[in-house]
Amino acid sequence: MDDFLLRAGLGAGLLGAAAGPLGCFVLWRRMAYLGESIAHMGLLGAAIGLLIGISPLVGVSVLAVAAALVMARAGDDLIPAGTFVGIVGHVGLALGFVLLASMETVRTDLLGYLFGDVLALSNSDLIGIGAAALGILGGTALFWRAWLSAAVNGDIARAEGRASRVADIAFLVLVALLTAFGLRVVGALLIVALIIIPPAAARPFARTPEAMAIIAAVIGALTAPLGLSLAWWKDIPAGPAIVLAAAAMFALSMLAERVRR
Amino acid sequence: MLIIVTDLSVRAGGRTILDRVGLAIGAGEIVTLIGPNGSGKTSLLKAMLGLMPAKGRIERKPGLRVGYVPQNFPRDRSLPITVGRFLRLHAKQDDARAALERTGVAALEPRQLSALSGGELARVLLARAVATRPELLVLDEPLAGVDVAGEAALYHLIAELRDETGCGVLLVSHDLHVVMAQADRVVCLNGHVCCEGRAEQVLKDPAFEELFGTRTAAELALYAHRHDHSHHTGSA
Repeated sequence: MDDFLLRAGLGAGLLGAAAGPLGCFVLWRRMAYLGESIAHMGLLGAAIGLLIGISPLVGVSVLAVAAALVMARAGDDLIPAGTFVGIVGHVGLALGFVLLASMETVRTDLLGYLFGDVLALSNSDLIGIGAAALGILGGTALFWRAWLSAAVNGDIARAEGRASRVADIAFLVLVALLTAFGLRVVGALLIVALIIIPPAAARPFARTPEAMAIIAAVIGALTAPLGLSLAWWKDIPAGPAIVLAAAAMFALSMLAERVRR
Repeated sequence: MLIIVTDLSVRAGGRTILDRVGLAIGAGEIVTLIGPNGSGKTSLLKAMLGLMPAKGRIERKPGLRVGYVPQNFPRDRSLPITVGRFLRLHAKQDDARAALERTGVAALEPRQLSALSGGELARVLLARAVATRPELLVLDEPLAGVDVAGEAALYHLIAELRDETGCGVLLVSHDLHVVMAQADRVVCLNGHVCCEGRAEQVLKDPAFEELFGTRTAAELALYAHRHDHSHHTGSA
């Protein structure tokens, strides 16, 4: 097997495994829009990275985390939190395009931003993705109890003093990190699919939140070899192929649920 | 005292919901809040628990352990969790089992939380709050959906728990029988505290008498009582 395929498989697999458990909380807390807006913000991060000459990935990560923290302030009940987060994300997207257009000397791979470029991962990319995946899995384990309490019922958690600001912020930061690194793998348009499809596919087979997280991690990891095989076999772009593989597993899961009932 | 609020005011949507309300709850005391719809009962509980922004002073006993049963508990089918695991999120295994026994739902332990009926959920939520060994139980219409026989038994249980553990109880209820039988103190709320005292005293209050005099109407609109004073909590 070629090296680039191995790197792609490892990178996408590690990221998928980390996305599964974190994605469960995104699903339970109905926050899919958060990943989408952070991904939109990523373009601005990449553009700023190019402008000041640092790695676009660093720019994306920093800006994604910053955006997540701004979005955490969304609490005005006149405008739903999701709408506010959407506004922030689209402002980032628009500013990113404007900034890129103004940099005449820089040619950016917009398609790569939108759909990822997993086959072009370098060794250092792979190390970064591996570190991010480990950090996300570790953080999910660390904050598991607090996040689960908040997901089951936020009011009870807060009223009984079981909610923590640190846990809330950690959640947003980890979703931002996952999104930033996910841009390299499946791109801005598809990253949310990698966050929500594996947990959705895992749901029918789980009776406990822990089981759902573990099954989602396995499904998330499996999307990489399946998607890349599909890409290789049918000669289609790798990022979309990975998402299609996840969708196929979701369809099988729904079918299995129907048959069992 | 477990919790003391003074001059608590809550505004929402340009309307004053609570106007300088004072309330204190001590250990071993059952305080029942009554009042018509929109009188601010739930807002008062939420503000006291820090779930709602409010003006005024809220003093809590340091490290106060609160057990809360909210009025609404949206069940989420996407989150798989059994009743037993739900209780053990915040309580020890033995306490969880004992609490489920006492609220009469021990058999529900292996069931999925999202699959419970309204009455079953109410019992489970009460069990969860009790299992955390709270010093202050805050119950917002905790027994909605529970059958009549069960309701009486569960209110009796709340009083029993108070006797055993010495916890304070703050309760919002629509059930007058509870007000008379279990509460040490009744607080009649309508944007502000209208009348307050032991059940017998409050029963003699003109506002309350009105309530009982028109019993049949009271069955329909329990709190549509006229007051001997005016209210100033409209659009301020």
